[in-house]
Amino acid sequence: MIPGPDKVKWHARVNDQEVSFPIESNAILLDVLRDQGGSLGTKRGCDMGTCGCCSVMVNGTPKLSCLVLAQEAIGSEITTVEGLSSGHYLHPIQRTFAECGGSQCGFCTPGFLVVSAALLNENPSPSDQEIKTAIEGNLCRCTGYQQIVDSIREASEILKSGRHIDDSTSSKSDPHPGFKE
Amino acid sequence: MGEKKSDEIVGYRQQPGKLPFSKPGSGGSNRFSEPRNQKRIPESMGGELEQPWGDHRHDDLVSGTVIGKPTALIDSSWKVTGQAKYGDDIRLPGEVIGRILRSPHHYARVLSIDVSKALELPGVLGISTGSDAPKTFGVLPVTKDEHAMAVDRVRHVGDLVACVAAIDESTAREACRLIDVEYEILDSIHDIKMGLENSENPIHDRGKYHIGESNVQKRVFQQFGNIAEMKSSAVASHDNDWTFNGVNHGFTEPHAVVAHWDPSGRLTVYTPQQVPHYLHRALADVLDVPMHQINVHRTFVGGGFGGKSDPFPHEMCAAILARKTGKPVRITFDREEVFWVNRGRHPSKIAMSLHADSQGRLCGIETDALIDGGAFASFGHVTTYYNGVLHTAPYEIGAFHYTGARVWTNKPASGAMRGHGAVNSRCAVETAIDDISEKLEVDPIDFRLANLLPPHSATITGFRVTSIGMRECLERVKKESGWNEKFRKMPLGKGIGIGCGFFISGSGLPIHWDPNKFPHATVHLKIDMDGGVTIHTGAADIGQGSDTVVAQSVAEVLGLPLDMIRVRSRESDTSPVDLGSYSSRVTFMNANAAISAAMEIRNELLEATSEITGASIEGLVIGDRRIFDKRDPAIGVSYLEALHKAQEDKGALVSSGSYRTPPMGRAHKGAAAGLAPAYSFSAYVAEVDVDVETGQTKVEKVWAAHDCGKALNPLAVEGQIIGSCHMGMGQVLSEEMKYGRTGHLLNPDLLDYKIPTVHEMPEVIPIIVESNDPEGPFGAKEAGEGPLLPILPAVVNAVYDAIGVRVSELPITPDRLFKVIEKKCRTEGISDPLDLSSPTLKHSDLQTVLERRAREHAERDIERRLSPEPTPYHNGALFGLDPEVPGDEQDSRWAAVVIPPSDYLENPGLAGSAWKHVERRHRGDGT
Repeated sequence: MIPGPDKVKWHARVNDQEVSFPIESNAILLDVLRDQGGSLGTKRGCDMGTCGCCSVMVNGTPKLSCLVLAQEAIGSEITTVEGLSSGHYLHPIQRTFAECGGSQCGFCTPGFLVVSAALLNENPSPSDQEIKTAIEGNLCRCTGYQQIVDSIREASEILKSGRHIDDSTSSKSDPHPGFKE
Repeated sequence: MGEKKSDEIVGYRQQPGKLPFSKPGSGGSNRFSEPRNQKRIPESMGGELEQPWGDHRHDDLVSGTVIGKPTALIDSSWKVTGQAKYGDDIRLPGEVIGRILRSPHHYARVLSIDVSKALELPGVLGISTGSDAPKTFGVLPVTKDEHAMAVDRVRHVGDLVACVAAIDESTAREACRLIDVEYEILDSIHDIKMGLENSENPIHDRGKYHIGESNVQKRVFQQFGNIAEMKSSAVASHDNDWTFNGVNHGFTEPHAVVAHWDPSGRLTVYTPQQVPHYLHRALADVLDVPMHQINVHRTFVGGGFGGKSDPFPHEMCAAILARKTGKPVRITFDREEVFWVNRGRHPSKIAMSLHADSQGRLCGIETDALIDGGAFASFGHVTTYYNGVLHTAPYEIGAFHYTGARVWTNKPASGAMRGHGAVNSRCAVETAIDDISEKLEVDPIDFRLANLLPPHSATITGFRVTSIGMRECLERVKKESGWNEKFRKMPLGKGIGIGCGFFISGSGLPIHWDPNKFPHATVHLKIDMDGGVTIHTGAADIGQGSDTVVAQSVAEVLGLPLDMIRVRSRESDTSPVDLGSYSSRVTFMNANAAISAAMEIRNELLEATSEITGASIEGLVIGDRRIFDKRDPAIGVSYLEALHKAQEDKGALVSSGSYRTPPMGRAHKGAAAGLAPAYSFSAYVAEVDVDVETGQTKVEKVWAAHDCGKALNPLAVEGQIIGSCHMGMGQVLSEEMKYGRTGHLLNPDLLDYKIPTVHEMPEVIPIIVESNDPEGPFGAKEAGEGPLLPILPAVVNAVYDAIGVRVSELPITPDRLFKVIEKKCRTEGISDPLDLSSPTLKHSDLQTVLERRAREHAERDIERRLSPEPTPYHNGALFGLDPEVPGDEQDSRWAAVVIPPSDYLENPGLAGSAWKHVERRHRGDGT
């Protein structure tokens, strides 16, 4: 049998929370985030850096977590798709992916959201060409990318306008829309 | 959007003083109902919504709330927050990891399996082999040829041999390595043509139904009309021998499954499935337990496209291991395993012959399609038919001759993939029409416009065509693409091309026949005192938005905002049986079932309103959360009031609705394949840029018109159109499953299997055409698969327009195209490809004849679609037959022939040669 890996202590700031636990020395960041870090939103699509589903931000830069040795990320600040929203207040990019059709089956969506949020952090008004360059490492099989580009463009508009996204827990439609003051 | 003043009252108020305190369950922030938007109410119901295609049986159910509005998918909040749980995201307490041992050989007999060493490995909890589950299964009842794991033979590299459950992934992998398997290697078959020959060890044995001793899994012969006579009247013919390489669905989520037997002894299987019900049946068969002991839980599905529409052996494995170990077992594939399971589009060899007569009519289509099924049957019976019958429309044709055969080879199995069975032969037909138009010196769009079947007609094979928006699709793309200014007028390297499509909107017959007369789709509704509506449906939302469309349908009928609807569609324990997400059936059948369920509730609400207000039911209409008299909108009640009245004495309102296709079609063998309650139509124009020096093709822009009947959710329809373009573009330009000389799959990964990225995508202009299908829900038909068909021929035809060469193999990779360019340069004696000339525009006298006929037919079509009782119209009228009687009933030469006559067998096509074999049961020699 192949000799097993050592255990090492791993710590990082994942979605604004300090986490620390032992990992195997050869562990890949994607596995650590999914199996131990509580980020099942980070998806595994290909295991070889071709699909972009596993993208996370490491110190603000989008990385393919399936190609990052977990030990390389010790002490870093990691943002996954779960860290984009603030409580139930969605990041504009999350809202526009839903409203502009950027997400169909949704499996590639976390990766797209992370790279486009990173893009908008750097460049709040990207051109279509800049948007396409930012998402060129991500594969989507449902949308044909057009509505994804629309979503990112729309999110940039929201960010620029300073409009905030509604609280998803706010009261929904009244089934008895009568006269009430 | 302007701010609303605080004292402004929007919509209806209840009459003041009548309701001094709020009703239980009310109190939402959206207090005022919107007045009915007259622009969204159909003319036939007194509104202002124009109905150029006539009225619809669902018009009186339109409340103007949600149908036809671009709507975000109702489950999108889960997806964009990372909360959506896909197969591998189901983590049950105490889970163990399953791993599959796969065959390293193409074809081998399994002599022995020794698991003793693996079992000794610490951390291994259970190992299972084929002998634990000897029963066969398969998606079609007639071809159950799969096992959970190899029972006697492995049939392709990657076929399942054994499975292991262990405490973690690395232990499971190590255990797989320690399993000792003794194989006797058999001669494997990789060339599709070899599959037609007799073999010492056919890949499967079908007993008395086995065809010769060959690997032919299914063969089809169909002839309608007198092809020989029609051919003799042809003035232009096209022949091309196509090679279509296999493609994979390429969904982003690899297969994953979690199985768990709960303390009561019931099994729950969590899996991203398009067909949970067929899995349910197969699990019961293989595990030998009754269906009610199993709960199939469909997780979020990370893309399906047909690739998750079979019951899979790994799903059986997880259940077997979970039973054996007493723990939940999770099996997740890596990308390579996805390619071993495959079920992608069949690699095919299609010989296409098309004939046109002096009137510019399509007097004959002859198709011979040999398709490579790989190691298992999957949907193969259906695919073999679809390769032929799905190109008998939208054109009126003089004769149709089809031979198809599907053979087993030692490759991962082919199966259903978006545009099932229709894509390759459609590409061949549409490029043939382009070539014929060139030979006749007519415009290819006008040629098509002059040969379309009218609304409410029957195709040559007897399919019932109801609504048809083909003409509008063609006219729209012609106008919007600036066709007349571009076609045959652009410089070398720039080209424009047209392609059309025709696809089923649901399959006319279900796969399983028992219990007899069971509906295709059923929807249950429950509304309790809170007013929210719970929908129970078994429709598998695979990202296409079926949950959303069902919710929209119910919301529309009941006049409710979408936030009051919740859909429960995941578990077979709680959802009524639905056949699944395939054959583009979900919106058509499920929304129809949802509408009929909602109509029951609607009637109860109307009755209650009538009781409260004293107004007659006939005068009542439903608006946004309010039911009122249409002549005096002040007389009415809120939705909740009506609901509470209706609930008096019985509590929650529940209802059930279902849908089954009407009886249709003819009686010949195979008549049911391709039969559908409605058909979608599409026409695309693609503009390409071809570099003649390198053979590199770039699609610059696509105008994509699709007739989906009625866009219930235009955002989703446009998404389907653009996404279809993406998938079709992959097949036409870059995607292919490559097999090496020894038959090994060379590119089972997403690095070498080239899915287009954002940079390869052209700008797509989606154009929605709404032909208002009489049977569709609110007029809707499918939009998921049909839009894929036209992009392939549109690109191929555009390449011809750009550089004057026709290809006969897909994908058109630069190396392949450059070879064709080189050949053309050699034959024309040109040394520099830049000196090639692209084709120029020529119009013969026939052009005006076709234009005139197209105009006449356009008028005929409008008349027929608006007529309350259109007269019958059977294919063949264009050729002088009586339109009111099927061709075969008025002229024996038009009779359907489904067994090849002996003279055909003297010189058969490639696939047709499968008919040289005699089935064992007919051989009479006792073998």
